[in-house]
Amino acid sequence: MKLYDQIFNVVKQFRKLFSPGPVTNADVSGSITAEIFLIVSLVLAAVLLRHVSILLAGLVTLILAIVLISNIPLIPKFKIEQEDSLEKMLFYAVVTLSIIIIFLYWGGNLV
Amino acid sequence: MAYVQLAILVTSAALVIIGLYSAIFIDNIIKKIIGISFIEEGANLFIVAIGYKPGGVVPILMPGMDTSWFATNAAYPLPFGLVLTSIVIGASTLAVMLALVMVLYRRYGTLSTKVMLADTSKQEEYDE
Amino acid sequence: MNELIPLMVIVPLMAALLISAFSRFNKATKIFAFVVAICLPIIPIASNYGLHYFGGYEPLVDNVTSVFYHPAITYSFTFLQQIFIAGVGLLTFLVVFIYLTKYKKVSGPYLFLLFLGTAAVTAMLLTDDIFHMFVFFEILALAQVGIVAASSIDYSYEMALKYMILGSIGSPIMLLGIGFLLALTGSVNVTDIAAAVHNGLVDITSPVFLFSLGLIFFGWLYASGLPPFHTIKSGIYSKAEPHGAALLQSFTVISMISIVLIMFRIYSSLPIFEVLIVFFSILAMILGVSLALTQTDFRRMIGFLAVGELGFIGLGIGLGTQYALTAGLFQALNEIIITALLFIGFGAIVNATNEVDTRKLGGLLAYHPKVSIMLLIGGLAMAGVPPLSGFQSKLMLVQASLSCGFPEISILAIMVSIATFVVFVKTFYAMFLRPKPNDLELGKKDVPRAMIFAMGVLLIIIVLLGIFPDVVTNGISNFVGGIL
Repeated sequence: MKLYDQIFNVVKQFRKLFSPGPVTNADVSGSITAEIFLIVSLVLAAVLLRHVSILLAGLVTLILAIVLISNIPLIPKFKIEQEDSLEKMLFYAVVTLSIIIIFLYWGGNLV
Repeated sequence: MAYVQLAILVTSAALVIIGLYSAIFIDNIIKKIIGISFIEEGANLFIVAIGYKPGGVVPILMPGMDTSWFATNAAYPLPFGLVLTSIVIGASTLAVMLALVMVLYRRYGTLSTKVMLADTSKQEEYDE
Repeated sequence: MNELIPLMVIVPLMAALLISAFSRFNKATKIFAFVVAICLPIIPIASNYGLHYFGGYEPLVDNVTSVFYHPAITYSFTFLQQIFIAGVGLLTFLVVFIYLTKYKKVSGPYLFLLFLGTAAVTAMLLTDDIFHMFVFFEILALAQVGIVAASSIDYSYEMALKYMILGSIGSPIMLLGIGFLLALTGSVNVTDIAAAVHNGLVDITSPVFLFSLGLIFFGWLYASGLPPFHTIKSGIYSKAEPHGAALLQSFTVISMISIVLIMFRIYSSLPIFEVLIVFFSILAMILGVSLALTQTDFRRMIGFLAVGELGFIGLGIGLGTQYALTAGLFQALNEIIITALLFIGFGAIVNATNEVDTRKLGGLLAYHPKVSIMLLIGGLAMAGVPPLSGFQSKLMLVQASLSCGFPEISILAIMVSIATFVVFVKTFYAMFLRPKPNDLELGKKDVPRAMIFAMGVLLIIIVLLGIFPDVVTNGISNFVGGIL
């Protein structure tokens, strides 16, 4: 019963995503598909690190899987981050630019 | 004389960094656009600095000049041509951005980016 | 005849200027725009392959070191440029045709922007000079902003200004990267730079070279709409008129592949380059499809899907082998056609029902059967269902990643395709199959025949490419072998 309650709470959280408006079966099933897809694909992409070092890949995969599954539902939090406002977009652009520059400039030995 | 090129490079780096800071962190849209202009001009100044030659002459072949002396002593002319095009591009993007800001100011009455360029995905979902 | 090569850029550019200058004469403008739009796909098909040196300056050869120098801006026209320029020309023709038949009085400046974008994208694909590509890239950005701002959708001005601001941070950063390359090699011709790098004249582990890679890569992320710019790209697709969005996405794809091919020729000896491309492409695939699954506005849904599909192209190019590059470029060609079909189709639905929320639609199959069937086949093509063209390119991508030793990437690609399929089945059911809601008014406006004709043409190309992919892949494979 506890697991059923947990899943029901997750679905209720999805409801907030689509308000104001009717929540149909198709929308909720789409969101649950997106949830599962996001978790599985991120964990699978982390396995790719095995070409760098197997220990690192194993650690990152495990930690990522635990963090993602314990933070279900991810999609509402995800959607908030992907909004249209200029500040969010500028923030992510600048974070990416700084990561690329730092990684390339000082990681020259890793190339 | 080599310090001249270093000074130009440091100035262009300062321009780019100041422009990036103001384009990202300042709320007023006009100041953001001025910051964007700074970034573009910093990039142009950087390219101009590449063509610098210590003790060089202007790369125009005057009548009576020896071509081999000219080839060794003239500054590198390619970056100057590129920068001319780039300045024009910067001016046209500035014009388009300011035109859009004019229209949006009339609509919103404020120059604050938080109000003008906020998120629009939630408002339209059920209104249409 | 090699004189036709610069004409591919000059014809749409001159047409754009003439139309915007003489737009008062409505009938003459319509006829002129139609004639030029027909010529656009014909010129690349009629032209021979070859090089064109602007100003007639042939390459110089240094007799002592036997190194070639290219003093002029060079346009190189091969099979790859031919199919992509013909593809974008065909798309421009269809979009201009839809626009001309939709409105009685056409807007000269809007046609100017459409033709300017086509000219810019053609020049970016043809050129061998990295600064020339940057100039036309900026022109393309202005044309894109204009197309978005010209639409009558709510909040389109705000979206255009956001795109302009983000672009004005991304493009000067790319210019800085080009400046670093100019400082290192003294040339802006890509062939010369690539020759200098491969002959060991440039130290590829020097921080300046790596810095230039990082800066140009960031500019490429902005140009192609990969994360972190995926939200703004899908935003401008959703705020432009549907036929404008169909053309905008083709501009994005072509600017993406032209810039990445130039970067590939210069930086391919660095393994970090391919790692970066694969990383951002995987991120784009995952984010694009996850966000598309949760959308109820189908314009945004197609926008996110279009951005997600770009991840497949980047994946093919990031893997780096000849087969993978061929797969990525073939996927790009299919993307342009399939996404255009979807934008025009959903635009037809918006036209007919004035409604963009899938929760408020339903039962459209009875009223618009042709559009619904063509949309369904288009959606299946994007998801990778055989025997359509999307299947062929995605199969090639999966095989390429398996043969490179990355089975995780193959599984990820298959999962993304399945998720895309879920998106389409869900949307198709919600809009066409389930019973019509009572407050939806239908049957008053018909779908314009020009849109159905355009969708039909694109659908025929999708089916033909799905059954005979070798027509295109052999030529692309030869081109890729030439640059590797």
